[in-house]
Amino acid sequence: MANPAKIFETIGRRTVAGLDEMGYAAAIFFEAIYWTLAGWRYRQPVRVTATFAAMMQFGVAALPIATLLAATIGLMLAIQSLYSLGLFGAEHYAYIGIALSVVREFSPMIMGILIAGRSGSAIAAKLATMSINQEVDALQVMGINPVRFLVSPVLIALVLMMPCLAMWANLVSILAAGLYVSAELNQSFGAYLNDTIEVLKTGDVWHGLGKATLFGIIIALVGVINGSMVQGGAEGVGKVTTRSVVISITLIVVADMIFAYMTTQ
Amino acid sequence: MTNQTLTAEAVNQANRPSAEDIAARRKVIEVDHLDWSFGPRQVLFDINLDVREGEIMVIMGGSGSGKTTLLRHLVGLMPPLPGKIKLLGKDMGALSRMQLLDLKRRIGVAFQFGALFSSMSVSENVKLPLRELTDLEERTMDIMANMKLEVCNLSGFGHLMPSDLSGGMMKRASIARAIVMDPKLIFLDEPSSGLDPVVSSALDDLILKLRDAMDISVVVVSHDVESAYKIADRITILDKGQILISDRVDAVRNSANERVQNLLHRRSEQAEIDPTEYLRRLAGD
Ligand SMILES: Nc1ncnc2c1ncn2[C@@H]1O[C@H](COP(=O)(O)OP(=O)(O)OP(=O)(O)O)[C@@H](O)[C@H]1O
Ligand SMILES: [Mg+2]
Repeated sequence: MANPAKIFETIGRRTVAGLDEMGYAAAIFFEAIYWTLAGWRYRQPVRVTATFAAMMQFGVAALPIATLLAATIGLMLAIQSLYSLGLFGAEHYAYIGIALSVVREFSPMIMGILIAGRSGSAIAAKLATMSINQEVDALQVMGINPVRFLVSPVLIALVLMMPCLAMWANLVSILAAGLYVSAELNQSFGAYLNDTIEVLKTGDVWHGLGKATLFGIIIALVGVINGSMVQGGAEGVGKVTTRSVVISITLIVVADMIFAYMTTQ
Repeated sequence: MTNQTLTAEAVNQANRPSAEDIAARRKVIEVDHLDWSFGPRQVLFDINLDVREGEIMVIMGGSGSGKTTLLRHLVGLMPPLPGKIKLLGKDMGALSRMQLLDLKRRIGVAFQFGALFSSMSVSENVKLPLRELTDLEERTMDIMANMKLEVCNLSGFGHLMPSDLSGGMMKRASIARAIVMDPKLIFLDEPSSGLDPVVSSALDDLILKLRDAMDISVVVVSHDVESAYKIADRITILDKGQILISDRVDAVRNSANERVQNLLHRRSEQAEIDPTEYLRRLAGD
């Protein structure tokens, strides 16, 4: 156990396994795109109904909780900004910090974490259960490509819904923050909104939405990969579900940092 | 009971195609020198096998002898390498993606535990291949699915969810799904495992009915000796990954090979285990 060589060996093996998983994820990603574009050639298009169902499940059904979270984040930012800027007597510039951090950071990140917990786990659990029941094998022997049937709709749905959710979160957060700030500072709400729109550039909005899309891809792939790696019975399903949430959230935070670094250089 | 089984068997004996008759037919499955290892552990050794059109081939063998692994190769879930597997005259290793999909439409597989999609009703399960692989109208699909459910004695149960089915119904539902595209060849993994004798005998009748009515070739993996005698034209016995014998039922039954007889009569072969070896294994090293 305490043998250092063993520890390095373990780390080495884990790294190789991790790279393996990344290769696998890339393969699945390209295969899902391939089937989306070329499925009709095999008379197996990605089903619109399945994609819509996934969009409802991952996006629309998440709206209530997404709204609640976004509003809370908006309020939290407003309270913090007023407090910290108040130390310098600069409360009236609160809108700048709020607008930029909501649009560039908080909306995509919070929505990413929410959907990773809510849908990433569901994707992993569903796929894991299907693998254990040999449902994936059954698809394969029927000549129904499992990536086309199970992965493509999920990937498309998340890629489309994540930016929508982030955009929605932008609106809700900024409105909630605006209500608080204008009430505290005895300022008109309209003026607050004007200032906010003034300070936000389209580039900031795209930055946030781009990240949200990337997070959607991460959540879909991590869920799918973990679900398909399941071993054992019901216990295995629980394990891969938890694992997929932990990994998605970690990757989202890391990707967020890298994205921020690269786009501000 | 014994009488009934005997007569059923006798009836099937009468229907059974003769040896020459079978030998004259087209091969629907040809396996050539198939080996397979899981990591360092070889589980299939030089498998050579053929199945003829309209034939029922039962693959038997002890637990862990490689039956499921062989079946997974036959249905394309594992690569047919090294070696060669031809299904319906097509070399599986040499097919393009499109040709492989086409081939899969013409075979049906019923898995040991059904592998029904738990989120869909029985009739949605049966309709799935039609829905995904054809352009048929909903009404036509309904008719075709109901027909197959009826063949499998499941008419009226289409609305049930898989979790509401008994073991026997589950197997029949998965057979209904396997035959919905009118395949020429179906594979059944352990159709009678976990069923009581009456239900499993009914399942045997269903398998015979499919062969006779729809002219399907059937490959059955089974542990059940009685059932194998009843339905098989030929029996293949696997032992530790090797084919021990592959021959007509009578020949297998009367085989002089001791291992064959042991397997058929479920005699254990403990005598072969060296006591010291056994103790060592118990001690765990
Ligand atoms: N995925 C796998 N990885 C490693 N070894 C495996 C795997 N699947 C099967 N094996 C091994 O291969 C051998 C053959 O297994 P297989 O499932 O084909 O046997 P079987 O004849 O179907 O047995 P049973 O009657 O119990 O179903 C067994 O010793 C098994 O332990
Ligand atoms: Mg088996």
